[in-house]
Amino acid sequence: MEQQTFYYDNKIVRLFGGVTILWGVVGVLVGLLIALQLAFPAMNFNLPWLTFGRLRPLHTNAIIFAFVGNGIFTAAYYSMQRLLKTRMYSDLLGRIHFWGWQLIIVAAAITLPLGYTQGKEYAELSWPIDIAVALIWVVFGWNMLGTLAIRRVRHIYVAIWFYISTFITIAVLWIVNNLAIPTGWFESYSIYAGIQDALVQWWYGHNAVAFFLTTPMLGLMYYFLPKAANRPVYSYKLSIIHFWALIFLYIWAGPHHLLYQALPAWAQSMGVVFSVMLLMPSWGGMVNGLLTLRGAWDRVRDSAVLKFYVVGVTAYGMSTFEGPLLSLKSVNAISHFTDWTIAHVHIGAMGWNGFMIFGMIYWLWPRLFNTKMYSEKMANGHFWIGTLGMIIYAVPLYWAAITQALMWKEFTPEGFLAYPNFMETVTQILPMYYLRSFGGLLYLIGFLMFAFNTIMTARSGKLIAEEEASAPALEPMKKSRESGETPHRWVERRWVPFTIWAFIAIAIGSIIELVPGFMVKSNVPTIESVQPYTPLELAGRDIYVREGCYTCHSQQVRPFRSETERYGEYSKAGEFVYDHPYQWGSRRMGPDLAREGVVGGPMYKSNTWHYNHFLRPQDVIAESVMPAYPWFISDQIDLEAIPVKIRAMQTLGVPYAEGFDLIAVENLLKQGQSIADDLKSNGIEVEKDREILAVIAYMQRLGVDITKSHK
Amino acid sequence: MANDEQYNQETQDSKLMIDHDYDGIKELDNPPPPWLMYIFYASIVWSVFYVFYYHVYDGPSQIDEYNTEMAEAEADRPVNNFDEENIVLLTDDAAMAEGVKLYASKACDACHGASNIGADLTDNFWINGGDVASVFKIIKYGKAEKGMTPFQSQLTDEQINQIASYILIKLKGAPTTNTKGPEGEEI
Ligand code: HEC
Ligand code: HEC
Repeated sequence: MEQQTFYYDNKIVRLFGGVTILWGVVGVLVGLLIALQLAFPAMNFNLPWLTFGRLRPLHTNAIIFAFVGNGIFTAAYYSMQRLLKTRMYSDLLGRIHFWGWQLIIVAAAITLPLGYTQGKEYAELSWPIDIAVALIWVVFGWNMLGTLAIRRVRHIYVAIWFYISTFITIAVLWIVNNLAIPTGWFESYSIYAGIQDALVQWWYGHNAVAFFLTTPMLGLMYYFLPKAANRPVYSYKLSIIHFWALIFLYIWAGPHHLLYQALPAWAQSMGVVFSVMLLMPSWGGMVNGLLTLRGAWDRVRDSAVLKFYVVGVTAYGMSTFEGPLLSLKSVNAISHFTDWTIAHVHIGAMGWNGFMIFGMIYWLWPRLFNTKMYSEKMANGHFWIGTLGMIIYAVPLYWAAITQALMWKEFTPEGFLAYPNFMETVTQILPMYYLRSFGGLLYLIGFLMFAFNTIMTARSGKLIAEEEASAPALEPMKKSRESGETPHRWVERRWVPFTIWAFIAIAIGSIIELVPGFMVKSNVPTIESVQPYTPLELAGRDIYVREGCYTCHSQQVRPFRSETERYGEYSKAGEFVYDHPYQWGSRRMGPDLAREGVVGGPMYKSNTWHYNHFLRPQDVIAESVMPAYPWFISDQIDLEAIPVKIRAMQTLGVPYAEGFDLIAVENLLKQGQSIADDLKSNGIEVEKDREILAVIAYMQRLGVDITKSHK
Repeated sequence: MANDEQYNQETQDSKLMIDHDYDGIKELDNPPPPWLMYIFYASIVWSVFYVFYYHVYDGPSQIDEYNTEMAEAEADRPVNNFDEENIVLLTDDAAMAEGVKLYASKACDACHGASNIGADLTDNFWINGGDVASVFKIIKYGKAEKGMTPFQSQLTDEQINQIASYILIKLKGAPTTNTKGPEGEEI
């Protein structure tokens, strides 16, 4: 066998690793700011681009796509070259991937605060950026599969199975969930509405967690953990079982985000059972990781890297235990719409994603720069302050969640809600918000120590840009299975069938869950009286999306006494058929708004009330933590966009009459005038084309249609 | 290495898989831990039962659960002996004390104070009538289309009687931040 000499490209690894640190700091910083905003609403500064509703998506997108995204690319570019004994397929594709991804992040960081959003959680980025992400993702996949094609190692190692499944699944999820009709350079309407949109969105949302925050991290773990521990992987068989079970089962579990909501019962049940079945396949990863450390435990004490892995993998085990727990309908009835979900994802993001990435970079940097870690002591310090930060972040939120859920559900002996004023249930948990912000601050301090330590490490050495390596060329081998070769071992040496099998595994659940939502009419029983929004209401809805009101308000009354008493009749699937995109939300920082407009319902407020409330919520509800929206009164509604929006809605099947686009503006101004007149009779002067009128019109429309069928 | 010895002792039963070597990473041929597999199988069996129970044997739907919950709450509701036809103005100190407390805790002033959303309750002008029965009714049933919240699902009839009496006795003529001016008829 001829020995071949080649060079690993370490430059690309350094590039991705460096920006991982940079964007990580930015993401955590924004996280700290929005945590403080919930505790101290003055921190919204009355500036549109600094309000909670716009910054929260910036935080989540920065952590997911910028911090973790670049982290997994660092892992993939470093480990694939070595596991496959080859340089990456193309330096150019790698550079396009790198710069393209950073450009996307910058574009996101500019557009999200400006209010350009699709209004779908974790898929907020506007359509041109979505297209860019899809293209760059394909560049990444191309480079990865190309590298597989030129490899010098016959069998593909488990880390790469996880990378492959990441690439194909994210591509599918991303494209299907983001399909939209543009109505401007950055604006668009999702092609899905109501419960279809909800199903697609959480099929995406949940599997972004699975295939962006989990599978590539497991890939990272399977390379960097045994490397750092210098121990063999505990069980190859377990790798096989948990890999296939994980990717096959994960894709079904999305509807657990929509339990007790207006979703067909069968879809909810899928969400429940597949989440429960996921527990052990997830734990397979944790067990294989922790048992790989057998015999290396004595070194965990001194090595910061191993400590990060131990806590990271344990955090993975904790969140994947909690996930199925939260998917049980009885638990979900309490946890959903509270901070429990927020605490849950932070165990995942801070513990699993964060700590695994920290561990990887602490291990990697001295090797890339051919030097020693600048300060092992500081790395250990980072570990302790990070762990403490995570605990002080999460524990108060669990406490807050349970406290608030119980308050929402408590009734007096007379049969009244014990806390009918929603704000009481928020004020009660504010101390927990101070603590969680402090926990976040500790985590940030640890992060800064990490940044400093890695920069100093890099400066004390010199990058080995081209690392020499050698391996024998791969001898051709016949395609068919050899005697004694297990079927799995056989697929492991053939990357094309492997990729196809992985695709089939994720396609089955996707098709069974999504297709009936589109095809079977009985899934969305129609309600005669549900009509499309008027142009003014539509404009108001777009402002609602722009401001990210869904980050604090849900629009979904679940069939519980505690909710129908507080908000009004429970939500029905047929009520949302014109909602492109749906706005059910996932957290109630403020009350549910699904029945806000129902006259005679428990939520209804007059136009004057809304006007005063948007101008300065604290004038109306003394301790409110809702941001003020003074620009609603100074800013004009974008009238030019109205006909375009109506036409886009018509294309999506919303039954506006032919030619309605031509009279839509006139219609809008007329409705605006009538609200302005009503305000005037209460002593408030406002012009008929102001945004505030659109938002009020939308508020007054919410949940109203269904009451008409009762008459 | 001492580690290796210790390690080999711990894992006497597991063999290295010789042809598995990825950049120096080796794999062992340990079976998956049995407990893990048993719980996994159990979760599959549980799932099958779950789906059968709810979708084949028609276990209670979430709407069924809701109806049960509402029926139970209705059955538990205490009987109401309050006579709404003959409401009397309460004047005792206890009623006044309760009234002021409820007026504050229900944040009536959020609308009836400086925000000018609701009417001035301190003057002699009433849109909906200034006797105790009328004030009782507007608090209990509200006037939704005008923005007055119905309080019947938050306050007992006794409590509403106390607030109404408090408004008519103590609030009348008290200083207010409401600047709407007179509305309705003078009584
Ligand atoms: C930081 C979280 C937050 C954001 C963002 C937010 N709200 Fe609120 N909202 C609250 C809280 C808390 C309350 C309850 C206290 C109050 O009424 O001010 C509330 C109350 C409301 C109410 C009153 C509901 C009722 O009838 O009692 C409306 C209407 C409302 N918000 C609309 C909006 C709209 C529209 C947006 C986006 C432009 C928005 N909110 C953004 C937190 C938020
Ligand atoms: C959401 C705002 C709001 C809240 C909260 C509110 N009100 Fe009102 N209230 C109004 C409005 C608006 C009117 C005027 C109705 C009309 O035009 O007839 C009104 C009218 C009244 C009237 C009749 C005044 C008249 O001139 O006939 C009384 C009495 C009253 N409210 C008492 C209360 C009490 C007591 C509370 C607290 C338990 C309360 N309100 C809370 C908005 C509110």
